[in-house]
Amino acid sequence: MRIIIAGAGAVGTHLANLLSREKHDIVLVDQDETRLEEPSRHFDLLTINVSATSIDGLREAGASSCDLLIAVTSDESRNLTICMIAHALGAKKTVARIDNSEYLDSLYRNYFKKMGIDSLIYPERLAAQEIAGSMKMSWVRQSWEFHDGALELIGVKVRSTSSLLNKPLKELGLESRKFHVVAIKRREETLIPRGDDMLKDSDLVYFMTTRKHLPEIKHLCGKDNYEEIHSIMIVGGGRVAVQTARMLSDRFNVKIIEISEERAKKLTTLVDENVMVIHGDGRNLDLLIDEDIKKTQAFIALTGSAETNILACLAAKRLGVRKTAAIVENLDYAAMAESLDIGTIINKKAIAAGHIYQMMLDVDVSNLKCLTVSAADVVEFVAAEKSKATRKLIKDLDLPKGATIGGLVRNGEGILVSGDTQIQSGDSVVVFCVEMDIRKLEHYFN
Amino acid sequence: MLNFKLVAKILGTLAFVETGLLLLCTLMSFLYEEDDLKPFLYATLIGFAIGTLLKFLGRGAQNVMGRRDGYMIVCMSWILFCLVGMLPFLFTSHIKGVANAFFETMSGFTSTGATIMDNIDFCPHALLFWRSLTQWVGGLGIVLFTIAILPGTSSGNVKLFAAQSLGPLQGKLQPRIATTSKWILFIYFVLTICCTFSLSIAGMDWYDAVNHAFTCIGTGGFSTRQANVMFYQSPAIEYVLIIFMFLAGVNYNLLYFLLLKRQYKRLVNDVEFKWYGMIFLGVTLVCTLSLHFTSGYELERAFRSAAFQVISLYTSTGYSSDDYMLWAPCLIPFLLAVMWIGASSGSSAGGFKTIRLAMIYKVCKNELKKILHPNAILPLRINGQVVGTSVKMNLLAFAAIFTMTFFIGFLGLVFCGLDFLEAAGCCISCLSNVGTGYGDFGPMFSWSAMSDGAKWVCSALMYVGRLELLSVFLVVTPSFWRK
Repeated sequence: MRIIIAGAGAVGTHLANLLSREKHDIVLVDQDETRLEEPSRHFDLLTINVSATSIDGLREAGASSCDLLIAVTSDESRNLTICMIAHALGAKKTVARIDNSEYLDSLYRNYFKKMGIDSLIYPERLAAQEIAGSMKMSWVRQSWEFHDGALELIGVKVRSTSSLLNKPLKELGLESRKFHVVAIKRREETLIPRGDDMLKDSDLVYFMTTRKHLPEIKHLCGKDNYEEIHSIMIVGGGRVAVQTARMLSDRFNVKIIEISEERAKKLTTLVDENVMVIHGDGRNLDLLIDEDIKKTQAFIALTGSAETNILACLAAKRLGVRKTAAIVENLDYAAMAESLDIGTIINKKAIAAGHIYQMMLDVDVSNLKCLTVSAADVVEFVAAEKSKATRKLIKDLDLPKGATIGGLVRNGEGILVSGDTQIQSGDSVVVFCVEMDIRKLEHYFN
Repeated sequence: MLNFKLVAKILGTLAFVETGLLLLCTLMSFLYEEDDLKPFLYATLIGFAIGTLLKFLGRGAQNVMGRRDGYMIVCMSWILFCLVGMLPFLFTSHIKGVANAFFETMSGFTSTGATIMDNIDFCPHALLFWRSLTQWVGGLGIVLFTIAILPGTSSGNVKLFAAQSLGPLQGKLQPRIATTSKWILFIYFVLTICCTFSLSIAGMDWYDAVNHAFTCIGTGGFSTRQANVMFYQSPAIEYVLIIFMFLAGVNYNLLYFLLLKRQYKRLVNDVEFKWYGMIFLGVTLVCTLSLHFTSGYELERAFRSAAFQVISLYTSTGYSSDDYMLWAPCLIPFLLAVMWIGASSGSSAGGFKTIRLAMIYKVCKNELKKILHPNAILPLRINGQVVGTSVKMNLLAFAAIFTMTFFIGFLGLVFCGLDFLEAAGCCISCLSNVGTGYGDFGPMFSWSAMSDGAKWVCSALMYVGRLELLSVFLVVTPSFWRK
């Protein structure tokens, strides 16, 4: 596949790296030479130093014969222009990064199609969704909903207080069918558990469950003493913070601390009235204490610097905030932050890349999630009539190693699965898979 | 420097507009065959002569309007209209003395509704119609009215529109001001027509219905009866007037979006409308309970009297269906408060305006919050939009000037011999363009018992109140006249 990436910023570079490893032909275009140096030295790709809004430049990059053009410069209108030109030149598919959630409305999808823009991605919003998801419950690291909450996937760090530890999973499963353990992250390793595996202290366990069983899981994980989140403090008022605050402000008290006065003033015009914007340095502990961090249940660090975010979260933990989340753009630090027990770690680049990756798969994947803390993908398939999956019980399906079925949604109702469950045509099946090509799963469902 | 020729020219146009209105009344008096035909004819001729003179003075004016010119025209237009408009009263000798006639006309054009006439029931039809018409024209604003009815006036419209204050956050409805004013006039017209029909269905005769519709939608409060709305003793009429007074107190921009654009969501989101509704309902509730339990009114009558009187004072109309001087004294502060506040900005009502009150409330709330969170950035938001610092400063300046003007007017009235509470009540009443005062100038009485000096003070208060103070004070500052 020939892929042009316009804009060698954080998202563009990361994508280039990711895709070049998969043996695609990548052309990275940016008008700033210095930004191209690094990728051209480290990754197997072609860099072209032209402005991506130039028609000649796009032609030179091969837009007329490319399979996919991804415009991820920092300027939304530039990205849209690039896609339109590339489409006119003959690019088969285009993706533009945007900065306006209005555009995502499905009402306007056809407008953009007509203009030659096939898909839009909004990394800040995706990151914010991820953060907002993790803030719903204080004791949960990450959470995702499928089909408007019919099924929930949650990631929980289990401690020695949990009653689930050190027992083979099959014994737990027999106890009750209230949840399904789909993956375990133990130190650096992500594994799909089998019946004989056991949960250990400090494992990050991914449960597939339905909403009504959440309290029970909370109890089983030994998280009873976690109080509900009422107040959230955000440090750093960037674009992710704006999106996050918008998503959270109707349920929680949100405070944003921003270091630049000008930006802080601007923020007040971007967020709702009930979000309080504070001008100050989020690293200043006196300020945090003045602003009642001790009565805050969650702390989110969203400044541009990974170091600041990690340290700020550690400081917040010491001040008694149990739930912290940080944006760590530097992937090398992400692992470190994980080991420091920061809690939820968000990587905008990885989220955006995962989203674009999904687009490239021509399978009928309606909802792919890329989990940043583990090398796992969550994929939702709709089982086609007479497909392989509908013919046998799950335990006889012989799914490839590294994949497990988490649950399914039938007629809008979430159902947890066991080996004896029969998939029917039309079911939405949520599959959790680690380090494998999703395309291999495709033929089970089509 | 002022462009005097242009000011004269435009004032000339305005004088012609008034001449046209006088001509209408002349026709009416011809049809009714009463004794006021000659006075109206003379007034029309004088108006025409003044218009021609001003046009002559303004011949060959450069068509470039500055900011100052705009403010000057707006301020002078009210004076000019009053000077010409009082002539019919003087010529018919139904009102004696210039102070009285000027007061009555100013009360008309500022849509105040305070009257010094004690013989309303015996006045000719055309004269009373002229009296109501002044309120209808003044309610919308003389300049806006003129921009709306005259075709293609000059580019100076923008300056005139800015100079004629419509509230702190008034926006345009349409790209062009002439179109905007036409829409506002259209809504005004529709409201007036609906009100006329409703009143006639409720039992008024056509003449009274038209007159009351004019003074109700203009939030004026003149009546064709000495006893005002009390004369009719009709619950139906009172309810109709309650509804239309309420509508007239809503921002016309909001009405435009509701009625013509069908954007009903705006109603829910509009801060001013919410406050307007809450204050009206809240004060009405207090008055209803008090009237029912302490004054012995039956419940329906208590509610009707309370709602009528509250909305009448709140929208600065000043109709009276009941004598609030006889109500429990503890209600008087509530009534004075709603008089002070005034209904919505961008409506024909006077007063401080509800939106400013809402803004001040939020500013104060933010300042209190700021003590707890010294680093917090707390912007002033109205309808979800952040309002800039300049608007905030303007708001506080307005509040200060409003209060100061009140005290100056209050002192003036006390010096002219009014008693302490009467002076306070009448001062608020004039400044907010309400029209019913306190004590001897309450709903049961006319203001004729005042001394001439007090009448001039009241006229001045009505004038500055109608132009929302700043325009007038700007014109009298030395820097306005500096070259």
